[in-house]
Amino acid sequence: MAVKLCFVTVGATASFEGLIRAVLQDSFVAELERHGFTRLLIQHGKGGQELFDAYRAEYESGKKRHGLEVGGFDLCPDMTPYVSMVRKDEANFQELGMMISHAGTGSILDALRASVPLVIVPNPDLADNHQQELAEELAGQGYAIIGKLDDLPSVVAKATNYGERAPYFRRENEKPFAVMSDELSWTED
Amino acid sequence: MPLTLEAIRALLVTTFYYGAAVGCLFFTLVIVSLMISQTSDLPKARRRGSPVHLLVVLGSGGHTAEMIAILERHFNFSVYTYRTYVVSSGDALSAQKAVDFEAFMAGKNNSPKENHDYTVVTIPRARRVHQSYLTAPFSTLQCFWACLLVLLGRHPEQHPLPAEYKSSLPDIILANGPAVAVCMMLAAKSLRFLIFCFKWTRTQDPDSEIPKLRTVYIESWARVRRLSMSGRILLPVADRFLVQWAPLAGLRAWWGMRPTIFCGWVVI
Repeated sequence: MAVKLCFVTVGATASFEGLIRAVLQDSFVAELERHGFTRLLIQHGKGGQELFDAYRAEYESGKKRHGLEVGGFDLCPDMTPYVSMVRKDEANFQELGMMISHAGTGSILDALRASVPLVIVPNPDLADNHQQELAEELAGQGYAIIGKLDDLPSVVAKATNYGERAPYFRRENEKPFAVMSDELSWTED
Repeated sequence: MPLTLEAIRALLVTTFYYGAAVGCLFFTLVIVSLMISQTSDLPKARRRGSPVHLLVVLGSGGHTAEMIAILERHFNFSVYTYRTYVVSSGDALSAQKAVDFEAFMAGKNNSPKENHDYTVVTIPRARRVHQSYLTAPFSTLQCFWACLLVLLGRHPEQHPLPAEYKSSLPDIILANGPAVAVCMMLAAKSLRFLIFCFKWTRTQDPDSEIPKLRTVYIESWARVRRLSMSGRILLPVADRFLVQWAPLAGLRAWWGMRPTIFCGWVVI
């Protein structure tokens, strides 16, 4: 059976327990299942370890019943292998999944490079942060969806309809190169 | 003793006025030289195919990742023949990323020999996280001094450049947000000012016309509507200022200065 993954990251710098709690909610897990997801993978960091372990204990005691595989890990310096598991890849039996990011630049860039549906959930504890502006601008240009902690299940349908975005078109990316050449000021001949 | 008191007061007042005058003069000198430096045209003196020494400032986590992504996508190492990477002390991860990146590029070009065309130098931080603001000026000076040494090729971790490089000064300096970038670009500008002031002492050397220590700043991709602190400081200092989001395009330090250039997402 094909794998359809929802990958959640909270990054390394600040803990974001609110996001972990929101994605482990029964309503969110049920919504994932309803849209054909088979896996939920959470990069929870040090701060989310306790929450994740508590969820696992509850699941193993048989209180939670759902058809989703749920996994988690602390942190990994290079997330790109996980991000590529979200991509559509028929040879590896992967369906297009979705990624939920805490608005950290690294994870957003990873998702955009892989062009997978991206949900950004800015951390409300870090208000007045430039990451909030980044999230808004990206959402405005259609590269991402902004998710809210109190209404996370609603983003699953949006992300599923979002589909595979066209990779970023390199419009003016020749410029840094031209600028560098100007500064080196080569002779004209 | 009214007379001595009067004398002391007179002395204080004169010192104050002289101090203020010197301060104003210095301030004007800085502003004018920054304006001249940023707006003057460069002589087209660099011969095609001559070696180029690129200095890259790596910051911490996010800054380093962005910089490596930019280098990987936009830089041809057959042009930028020698690279110096500057990392902050205690940031072994960035140093490792630079080494890995060089190995990756060497592998891509199938170069058979060992890669000796780069160095990684570590310099003290301008301000450590949680460091008191009382001692911060001293560590900033220390960082500035280390930057000067690196630019002059006198830092203990540097190897002598290959013989085809006539000068130990880097040709071009590339940085994106970290505090070290501020120190490095200010150091480069100061050095250029000194070189300019003592130009007349040198005999006519055609190579002295080749521009050195040019500075290019790329604002972090994460900055969408407002410049970062480093960006705001370096806006009048950097020779070229690139931004990756349209709302930041066209900003300039003050009237007559060079505006920022929108370059699109160079990290993707």
